[in-house]
Amino acid sequence: MVSQFPRSNFFRKVADWRRAGCPIHRSPRALPGSNQARAPITSLTHQMLACLWFIAAGIFTSSCLAPHAGAATVDATLDRDSVPAGNGALLSLTITGNRVGQIQLPEVENLIIQGRDQSRQIQMNAGQTIVSLTCTYAVGSNTPGTYQIPPIAVSIDGQQLTTKPLTLKVLDAAAAQAPTPSGAPPAAGQAPDTSGKRFGFLTVELLIKDRNYLYVGEIAPVGIRAWLPEDSRAQLRSGIQPEGKAFTLHNVSERPQQGTEIKDGKRYTVITWYGGISATKAGKYPASLSLDATVAVRDTSAPKPRRRNGGPFDDPLFDSMMDRFNTPMIQEDVTLKSDDEEIEVRSLPTAGRPDGFTGAVGDFKFESADIPASWKTGEPQQISASLSGSGNFALLGAPTIVPPDAWKIYPGKSDLTPRDAAAFSASKRFQFSAVARKGGKQDVTLSFSFFDPAAAAYKTLTTSPKPVTVSGADLVDVQTNTPTVAPEPAKPKDPLVGQHSALTPVASLAPLVARPEFTRLLALGATLCVLGQAVAWLRRRRTDPARLAQAKMEMATREALQAAANCADRRDVAGFFEAARRAIQLRLGALWNQPAPAITLAEISARIPAESPVARFFHEADLSAYGRHAADDRLPHWRSLLAEALASLTPSAG
Amino acid sequence: MNRPLRLAACFLLLGSTPLHAAASSALEQANQRFAAGEYADAATAYKQLLTSEGPRASVLYNLGNSYQRLGQYGPAILAYERARLLTPRDPDLLANLALARQAAAAFEEMRRNPRIDALLYHFSRHEWSWLVVGSALLLGGLAGLCGVLGLPRRGWRNGALTAAALASLALMTGATALYLRGDEAALGIVLSATAGVRLSPFDKAEVLGSPGAGRSVRLGATSGAFHYVEVPGTSLRGWMADTEVTAIFP
Repeated sequence: MVSQFPRSNFFRKVADWRRAGCPIHRSPRALPGSNQARAPITSLTHQMLACLWFIAAGIFTSSCLAPHAGAATVDATLDRDSVPAGNGALLSLTITGNRVGQIQLPEVENLIIQGRDQSRQIQMNAGQTIVSLTCTYAVGSNTPGTYQIPPIAVSIDGQQLTTKPLTLKVLDAAAAQAPTPSGAPPAAGQAPDTSGKRFGFLTVELLIKDRNYLYVGEIAPVGIRAWLPEDSRAQLRSGIQPEGKAFTLHNVSERPQQGTEIKDGKRYTVITWYGGISATKAGKYPASLSLDATVAVRDTSAPKPRRRNGGPFDDPLFDSMMDRFNTPMIQEDVTLKSDDEEIEVRSLPTAGRPDGFTGAVGDFKFESADIPASWKTGEPQQISASLSGSGNFALLGAPTIVPPDAWKIYPGKSDLTPRDAAAFSASKRFQFSAVARKGGKQDVTLSFSFFDPAAAAYKTLTTSPKPVTVSGADLVDVQTNTPTVAPEPAKPKDPLVGQHSALTPVASLAPLVARPEFTRLLALGATLCVLGQAVAWLRRRRTDPARLAQAKMEMATREALQAAANCADRRDVAGFFEAARRAIQLRLGALWNQPAPAITLAEISARIPAESPVARFFHEADLSAYGRHAADDRLPHWRSLLAEALASLTPSAG
Repeated sequence: MNRPLRLAACFLLLGSTPLHAAASSALEQANQRFAAGEYADAATAYKQLLTSEGPRASVLYNLGNSYQRLGQYGPAILAYERARLLTPRDPDLLANLALARQAAAAFEEMRRNPRIDALLYHFSRHEWSWLVVGSALLLGGLAGLCGVLGLPRRGWRNGALTAAALASLALMTGATALYLRGDEAALGIVLSATAGVRLSPFDKAEVLGSPGAGRSVRLGATSGAFHYVEVPGTSLRGWMADTEVTAIFP
C-alpha cells in the first residue's frame, strides 16, 4: 500500500507519525512533529489493530442495530485541490452502513496515502439508526504532477461500493507557497496560514448601530483591531494611517485595549483602538488602514530538535509544549493592513435642508442660552449658548437668532469641551456679538440645524423664547415701511454683508516680517541697545571713584617725583628726600589701600624686607630728615636708589 | 517743521488728491455695478482698481463679495483672505468669509486651543511684526537713553525699567505669534471645485483627490506650472496646476 520513495519532509513526518504509535491515542496536531523513536513494526500494526477494533466495534454495533440500519453509502473528499511537493492533503472517506468490510486503498505511482484517523458516529432518527465511519488519510507526493486517485472500494453490508475518483495536483515545492508554516497538513479546525497574514493583520469595524454606512461629514466611530499571532512580540512603529484618500481618521484612542481571541481556529492577541472616520465625498470606498510594526513570531517551519527516547519528556503530552519552547522566533518589520472592505458613504439629502445648516452631523441639543434682556439698536452685545451631544463638532456652527431680519450677527468664538477620550461626545460653547436692528419689544430665540444620521433627517432645535427690549430707532438699512402700492412678497434675508464704499488706504499685502525692513529695524533696535550699553559703560567708567582716585594718586606721584628731581637739581637734599618719600608713600598707599601719610618706616619694615630698595630709601630719608645729614655728594646714589625703589613698586610688589 | 518739509508735504497732498478722487470714483462705479447685479463686471472693475492702485482692503472685500455672488467661492475666499491681511478685525469681512467657507464647505480645522487662536488671529502678521519691531526699537531707545542720560532720578529709572519689561514681554509675545503663524506665508487657496491634486506635476498625471474650492492648502516647491501642495488635516498631497491654486501672498 505504501510506495517507497526518497524520504522528504512529508515522508519523514509520516515515518515519525508511524513511529509515534496508534493515532487514535494521540492529538492529531502532535503527529507530524513527533520525533519519538518507537519500534517501526508497531506503527502499522497499531493502525491495523485500530482499524480492526473499529471494524469489530462496528460489526458489533451494526449487529445490534441491524434491523434499523439505513442505506449504505461511501464518499471521499480532499480538503484541497493542490499541495506543494513534500506536503500532504487530507482525504476523508465517509462510510455509512452497518457492516463495513475491507477498505481497498488504491495504489498510484509516486503518490503516498497514509492512514491518519478514524471516527465513528451513530445517529438515531425516528427509530432509524445510521452508523457512519470516517477515515482520514494523508495524501501527498514528492514528485510534482497531477495525480488521479482512483475510486476507493469499500465492502459494506456485503455490497462493494466505490467512491468517485479524485484529482490532486502536487506543485513544485520551490514555486508553491507553503500552506502552513510547518509544511504539514493542517490540523482539523486550524486554518492554513497565508504568508500575507503571518505576522498579523488589521480589521476595521463600524460601530454604528443598525447601519453599515455613514454620511458625508459624519464622524462614525470605528473599532480598529490589530490581530497578532499568539506568542508573538510586537512593537508598533507608527500610528494607524488611512491608506486610501477617501477617509480621514480622527481621535484614535491613545491607550488601546488588549485581549485574546480565536479567529478561524487560530488564537490571536488582539489590540483594539477606538476612533472615528469621516468622508467628504459620497460613494463606496475601501476603508484601508495600515500600521507599521516590528513583529516577532515563532518560526514553525524550523526543524524541530530531536528528543531523546525515554527521557523525562518522552510523552506526547509534552510534545507541543516542548516544540513551542524550542521553536525559534523570526522578526520582521511589517506593515499590518486591513482588508479593503468597502464602506458606503452617503451624501446628505438636499430635500429639507435648513437654511442655517452648517454641515453638523450627529445628535445635538441646547444646554443653555444667554441672551441679554435689554438692547439698544446699533450697539453690539454678546450672546452665549452651549450645545452638547455627539457628532462632528468641527462643523457645528453658532446658532442663529430668530427673527433674523431684526439682528445682525458677527462671528464670535467657540470653546469645545470633550466629554470622552475620542471627543465624539462634547459640549461646545459659542460666544458671538449681535446688533439689534429694530427697536421695540420682541421674543428672541436661538436656533440651529443639524443632520441626524440615525433618523436620516435634518433637525432644527430652538430655545424657548426670550423677551427682550430694544431701545432706539430702527437702523436705516432695515426700514421696510416704504409706502409701496403693491406689497411684494417677503424676500429671504441676504446673509451677505454689503459692499464697502469708503476707500481704504493702499497697503502692501506682504507683512513687515516678510520684508527686508523687518530685519533692518530689528538690527537698528539691537544696535541702539548695544550703543546704549556702550555709552553707559563709558559713563560709568568715567565716574568710577576708584579709577578717579587712582588717577589722582598717579598725578600726585608724578608731581612729587618732579619736585624731588627739582630739589636734586638744586642740591637740596632735605627737599629731595621729602618729595621722594611722599611719592613712595603715595604709591604704597595705593597698593596697600591706606592713606599715604600713614605709611611710615615702621609700617614698611613690618611688611617689606629691610634690604629692599624701598626700605633702604625710607631709612635714608628718615636719617636725612631727623639726623640733618646733608651730604649732597650722595644725591646721585639716592636718586638711583629712588628709581630702584619706584621700579620695585609695581602692582605685583604688594 | 522747516520750509522744505512743508513744501514736500504740500506737493504730496496736491499730487495724491486727484489720484484718490479717481480711485474713489472707480470704486463707486464698481459698487453701482454690483448693486445692479452685474457681478462679473463689478469684479472686473475691482480687479482693475487693484491692478492700478494696489491692494486696498475695501476693494478686496468688495471683490470677494462679487465672486461670492457669482458662486465662485475659491476666488471669493482668496480675496477675503487677502483683505484679512490688511483688516483682520473687520466684522463684515469675517462674516462674509465665514459665509463663503460655509457655502464652499471649505471649513478650516482648528489647529490650536480656540482662545490661543483667537489671540493669534486678532492681529495680522503685519501688526504682530510691528509689535516686535516697535518693542525692539523701544528697548534700543531706552538703552540709549539710559546710556546717555544715566537716568539719575529714581522715578525715571523705575519707569524705564517698567517700560523695558513691557517691551520685552511684547517682543516675546509678538515673536511667538509670528513663529506660530509662520506657516501662513506658504498658504494658498484652491480656486475651483474641480481642481485636482495630481501624483506628478503633469497634466495627465493621476488625480489623487480634490480638496474643494476655497480650501486652504500649504504650498511647497514649484515644478513648471505646478505647485506641490499639502491639504492640512488630510493625507492628501501632490501637485496642483498654478491656475487652480493661488498663494494668498501674491
